[in-house]
Parts: sequence; C-alpha cells; structure tokens
Amino acid sequence: MPSKTPHTNGNEPVENGVNGTKDVEMKDDAPASLKGGKGKKAKDGEEEMTVVVPPSKGSKLSAPPNKDTDGDVAMDVDEDANLEDAGAVKIDPVAKAVSDIKGNFPLLERAVTLFDARFSLRALRSISSIRKRLTPDILAQVITETYPSTSPAAKSLLVAVDRENASFTKPTSNEMEVDGESKASKTAKKESKDVIPEIEIFLGILIQIYYLDNKINQKGALFSAHLAERIHALNRRTLDSLSARVYFYYSLFCEQMAPLPPSPSSPVVSIRPALLSALRTAVLRKDVDTQSTVIVLLLRNYLSTSHITQADLLVSHTKFPENASNNQVARYLYYLGRIRAIQLRYTEAHEHFTAATRKAPSSPSAAGFAQSATKLLLVVELLMGDIPERATFRLASMERALQPYLQLVQAVRVGLLGEFENTIKQHSETFRRDGTYTLILRLRQNVIKTGIRMMSLSYSRISLRDICIRLKLESEESAEYIVAKAIRDGVIEASLDRERGFMKSKEVGDVYATREPGEAFHDRIRACLALHDESVKAMRFPMNQHRLELKNAQEAREREREMAKEIQDGDLDEDDLGGEFEGM
Amino acid sequence: MAERELQDILRKLKSTHSYPDSSSLLSKAKITLLKLHALTPQPTTPPQVLLAAREVFEAGALLSIRAKDPAAFTRYVHQLTPFYELPADKLPATRSERNKITGLYLLLLLTQGDYAGFHTELEGLELREGNGGRVEDDKYLGYPIKLERWLMEGSYDLVWKAMASRQVPSEEYGVFSEILTSQIRNEIASCSETAYPSLPISSTKNLLFLDSEGAVISFAQSRGWVIKDGRIYFPNQSLKAGVDQEGNQKELSQLAIENTLGYARELETIV
Repeated sequence: MPSKTPHTNGNEPVENGVNGTKDVEMKDDAPASLKGGKGKKAKDGEEEMTVVVPPSKGSKLSAPPNKDTDGDVAMDVDEDANLEDAGAVKIDPVAKAVSDIKGNFPLLERAVTLFDARFSLRALRSISSIRKRLTPDILAQVITETYPSTSPAAKSLLVAVDRENASFTKPTSNEMEVDGESKASKTAKKESKDVIPEIEIFLGILIQIYYLDNKINQKGALFSAHLAERIHALNRRTLDSLSARVYFYYSLFCEQMAPLPPSPSSPVVSIRPALLSALRTAVLRKDVDTQSTVIVLLLRNYLSTSHITQADLLVSHTKFPENASNNQVARYLYYLGRIRAIQLRYTEAHEHFTAATRKAPSSPSAAGFAQSATKLLLVVELLMGDIPERATFRLASMERALQPYLQLVQAVRVGLLGEFENTIKQHSETFRRDGTYTLILRLRQNVIKTGIRMMSLSYSRISLRDICIRLKLESEESAEYIVAKAIRDGVIEASLDRERGFMKSKEVGDVYATREPGEAFHDRIRACLALHDESVKAMRFPMNQHRLELKNAQEAREREREMAKEIQDGDLDEDDLGGEFEGM
Repeated sequence: MAERELQDILRKLKSTHSYPDSSSLLSKAKITLLKLHALTPQPTTPPQVLLAAREVFEAGALLSIRAKDPAAFTRYVHQLTPFYELPADKLPATRSERNKITGLYLLLLLTQGDYAGFHTELEGLELREGNGGRVEDDKYLGYPIKLERWLMEGSYDLVWKAMASRQVPSEEYGVFSEILTSQIRNEIASCSETAYPSLPISSTKNLLFLDSEGAVISFAQSRGWVIKDGRIYFPNQSLKAGVDQEGNQKELSQLAIENTLGYARELETIV
C-alpha cells in the first residue's frame, strides 16, 4: 500500500507540485480555521451553556512544535497555494470544498504510512474551515469520487447523507472539466481499490458535523453509534485521534436529543456503557487522545444528570493521562472542581478552578468556558471566606456574564443579609442555569459571619437585640447562638454576657505580634520557589547542545593552553590576552 | 405464580406492625423478587412487578428506620435508586414514598455529619425537581434542608423548636430527633466554652435545652466544667490559651529559623 501513495498525489498536479509545502499550508491554516470555528462554537456555547471548546483547538495545542518552527516563510507559501487553488476552481465553490476535503486524504494516508498521529491531527484541524460549507451534495460527491461504486463503506456513507442513488461516474467527469485534468477519473479508479479506513472515518466525522450543525440529532446519534462500532471493529492505532473526535460528537448528539439531560430517561444515560467500554479499550491501548476525551465526556455526562457520586467514583478509579492535550486537561479540571465544590472540599475545588481558568485557551472562541469556570471560581472563593478581586469583573470578556456575581460579592462583602437574598431572588434563574445555585445558597452563613465581624470591629459592645435587628435574624436567641458559634469558629474575638445580653469585643491585638505575617511571607516565598522549580522543569534544551558546549569548552581550554604556552615563549603581550578572554 | 405470592406478602406487610414479623416477611419478599429477577430493574421486567418491588423496598426502608438500623436503611435507599430513576411511563411515580425516603436519607446523612454526602444528594434533588423552589417547599425534603441551614448558621434554637414542636413531617423523622438533640447540645457546649467567661446554672438550662438544673450539673460534670456559687466556669479555656501562648512562642522562633535556613538553601541552588 505505501507504494500507492504517490499515485494518490498524482491525482491533482497542483498538489503534487507543491507537495512539500502542502503540509505547511495546513499548519498555517490553524489560525484561520480558528476564526472559522469561533462563530459556530460561540453559538453552540450559548445554546447549551456548556464548555464546548472548539474541537480544532485540542488538536492544535497537542501538536504545537510544527506550528512554531516555520512562521513567516510558510505564510507566503500559503498564499501562493491559495492563489493557485483559487485560480483552479474559481467558478465553483462546491468544487473548492470538495477539493479541500480531498486535500486531507493524502495527510491521512501519510499518517498511516509514517505511523505519525500528527498528520491525522492536521487533517482534523482543517475541519473547522470546511465546516461551514458542508452540504449533503458535496459530501456525496467526495464519497462517489473516492470510492468505487461497489464499496459497501461508500454505500453506508451515502445512505447517511441521504444520497444513496448518487451516481458514481458523473461527478468525476464534472471535476475533470473544472480541473482540466484528464487523468483524474483513471487515478481515482486506481486508488479506489484500497481506500484506507481512516478516510472513511474522516468522512464519517464530516457527516457527523453536518448533522450536528443542522440539528439532525436523532440520525446523528444513530450514525455515530455505527461509526463507533466500525472503529472498534477496524482496530487500527492510526485511528486513535479520529476516534476521540467521533466519540466527542456522539456524546454531543445524545445531549441534544429529546428528553434533555436532567431527566433520567435522556439518551445521555444510554450512551454511558458505550463510553465506558470505549474508555476501557482506550486505556488498554494507551490511546491517550480517546482516553482523555472519553473521561471528560463521561464526567460531563454524569454531572448533567447530577450523578455526582458516580462521577466521583469515576475520578477515583481512573487516572487522567498526563500527556493529554491542554484543552482536555482544562475541561477535566473544571469538572473535577465542580465535583469537589459540591462535596464541600473548597480548597481542592479552588485549586482545580484556578488551574482550569489558567489553562483555558485565551482566544475569544473559548470565552464560554473561561466564563463558567470563573463563575464557579468566584463562588468557591466566597465560600472559602475570601473576597474575589475587583479586577476579575472588569475584564471585557467577563463583564456582562459576571454582573450577577458582582452584586453577590458586594452583598457578601458588606454582610447585608437582605441584599444577599434579594440578589439570589433576582438572579435565581441565571444561577440555576450556571449550576451555581446550590453553592450560592450555602453562602448565607458566610454573609452572617461577615456581618457579625463587621459589627464586632465597629462596636466594642453591642446588645444581642441590635445584632438581631441588623442581621434581620428571627430572634435574639438565634443571634446569641450564632455569635457563640462565630466566636468558637474563630471568626471574631469576643465574649458574650448572657445575663445582660450583649457581645463584648476583645481588643484586637497587634497582628504583627502573631505568627500570621510570617506565615503569609512563607506562603509567598514557597509559591515563588515552586514557580522557579516549575520553570526549570519546563525549560527545553535542543538536542546534543551540551555536547557542543563541551566541545567549545574543550577548544577554549586548548586555546588557553596555547596562549599560556605563547606567553611563556614571550610572543604575546598582556593586552592581547585580555581581549581574547573578553571575546570568549 | 411468584408474582401472586409477592402481592400476598405485600398485603401482609401492610397489615402487620410488629418488627420481627415484618422483617421475616421482607426477606421472603426479597427472595421472591430474586426469583423474578427484579431485585434491580431490568428492561424486561413487567411494570406491576416493578411497582411491587418498589413497594417492598420502601416498606423495608421505613421499617429499618423504625428499628433504628441506619446500615439497613442505607442499603434499601441504594436499592431503591435505580427504581426511582426509571422513566415515568415504565413506573409511574404515584403512590411513591420517594420524597419521604429521600428526606429521611438526608436527615441520616446530617446526623452522621456527612455534609459532603448531604450536599451531593441535594444537588441531585435540585435537578430532579427541574424547576426551583419546590424542593424547599416539599414537606419531607424541606425539613432536612432547613435543619442543615440552621445548623450551619448556628441557629440552634430554631433546630430545637423544629424538633420539639412536633413539626416533624412524619413519625419516622422523630427517630432522628434524639440524635440531633445530643448533637446540637454538644455543639452548643463547645461554643459556650469559648464564648462565655462564666454562666449561671439557671440560664444554662435553657441554653442547652435541658429539663432540670440537676441535668445541667451532670452535663457540666461530664464535660469537666467547674461549678462554683451557682455559676459554671469553663476552666480549660484560660488554661488552654496560656499553654498555647507559650508553645506558640517557642514554635514561632523555631519556625522562623527553619524557614530562613530553607530560603538560604534554596537561594544557593538558584544562584
């Protein structure tokens, strides 16, 4: 089969000519395709208020090296290639789309022959630029041109796009005219004998995307199930990165189908066994892409029906792959944080959310993810008794989304119970949609504590009745118990007088006499040291560089010896010597 | 045949009130369910069997609460979960004791101090009801939720009132009152130790919801409080503080030295 690859490339002279640069073009497509994905994804994000980060990004981040290597040079080539492309098919956007899709096939083939997942990732990345132009006709044309009429795979794909009677000859001749290339049909036939399954799955993913964009969820889910089965039957390692994508869309379909997630009869529940078995296979095959994707999907799945216990069990029984792509890690941390927040493990939740917001891609296409992670982070911070920084609310991308939370923070900060309850009532819909409602309800006690602290700071002695009125509590007895609890929990330094019914604040001692400043200092130093260690670990050194340095050092030493010898001989004067050393 | 047997047992279950009878009936019912392959709902199980199975488990759950057997109750709750998650067209939710049992389960978690479990369960409820407000308004579910909120705030008097004034939604809830009472009494005691310099015995009686001054005295002795001239003094408070201060001082200097040495070492490796 490897011997066939050149033939495939011979299919289109344009491509063949710039074969070397073709890869480069794909790489540089990424920024453009990102923009393409933005519109789509922003829409998706709004509709379901979820954390769908554009799929193109996951692959982009996981293969960064080839992006960085050739920056500017590639740009020119890219334009050239585009020009040529445009020149060839200016008349027909359909043909352009078709050729774009087909342009990915050599990549997939190379991925198989070289056994290098980067090529399939590159093909996947180009999807978002094709995405907007997908129609059943284009897909059918690609299929008919790629496969021989007898292929069962082509049949099933055609059935999926509702074009089962598309003829297998006409579109080929059509393309011939457009490209002005006579050999097209022949080569097409020649290659069609052994179309690799990767191409079939790739086309399958395109069909999935088409279904998803056009909201044909029922059929999409059915088709995805078949596709997943097919991948399982094919059992090829080169399919790994593609299969991750297939499962991703499969689960998206299920989420959007009729009884929506919170209901227990939603299709989300029925997809679980499929996902779990996919996870098992992925772990056994060390398929990091699928493994990380499926774990995240499962967590999302469990949380959507609020099966928190199951999600927690999943987390404790699986190990998230360390070298998963950055975006999957961010999503994983986000879901983990949500689980921990529900379990009242705020410190851990806070850690996870902080990491998730930092790891979230900063491009505007991922704003939805960043927003919902930040919202949860804010609530968890409040629950821990901290007041979030004002600057968080000023970010342009966050300002509007965080408006209700700003009011909430203000109410908690001053300890006004009435205002706090008003805010909850006013924005309860928003909070519920964000999944923060139950967490926010827990904030009530924090508000009360802050209120008490405020009063203890401002009055040296205050009657319980006044506390009761200020905090709008139900009775004086409640106030007494609440204050007593606050004293025990270390919120305030005070004592109660039961007979006369007042709270007496203790004189606040000098903070600098306690160990607190020392601790704060120590914490910061530790953070700095950890940062330093991490940066050292993250540093990359070019291969064999140290050998070069060793060589240099050796040379220098030799030179030095020579110089010493020369000095001994009296050939060199002192000035020269100094110059030499500086140069080194 | 097994089905009819099951219905029979169910009928008997409802009429008996003695614990040993019911528990033997229950185990019989469970064996019948096992024969019907209905211990967990299968896609093929007919609806009437599902209904019967649910009733058996619900009866078992309530029974184990009355028998003060939390482990058995938890087991029943877990067995019931798959039944409750069935779609309404397979198993209608009417005549189900779902809210009551969930409420009891919440209360159980509360008394065990398992707040994480409590909130996990609560999160599920929020979504189950779909639209808000209803969870808190529900007679059975609202009770534990309110209790938890008051406990966290420290409004122990409200908790006490809720338990004392027969506001409990059903008799099974009363079982927990005793545990909760001793729980909040201990909470209050530990709060008072730090909050008050001293307390008169007469008002401590009200504070701790005890019936007589004699009970106050015995409670005070059990916690090691000193009673002098009709007042309670909390001795370990000042004592603890003193020790703390001294220990602190020593520790602080030691800690500072340790930290500084650490910084120096780190600096050395960096430079």
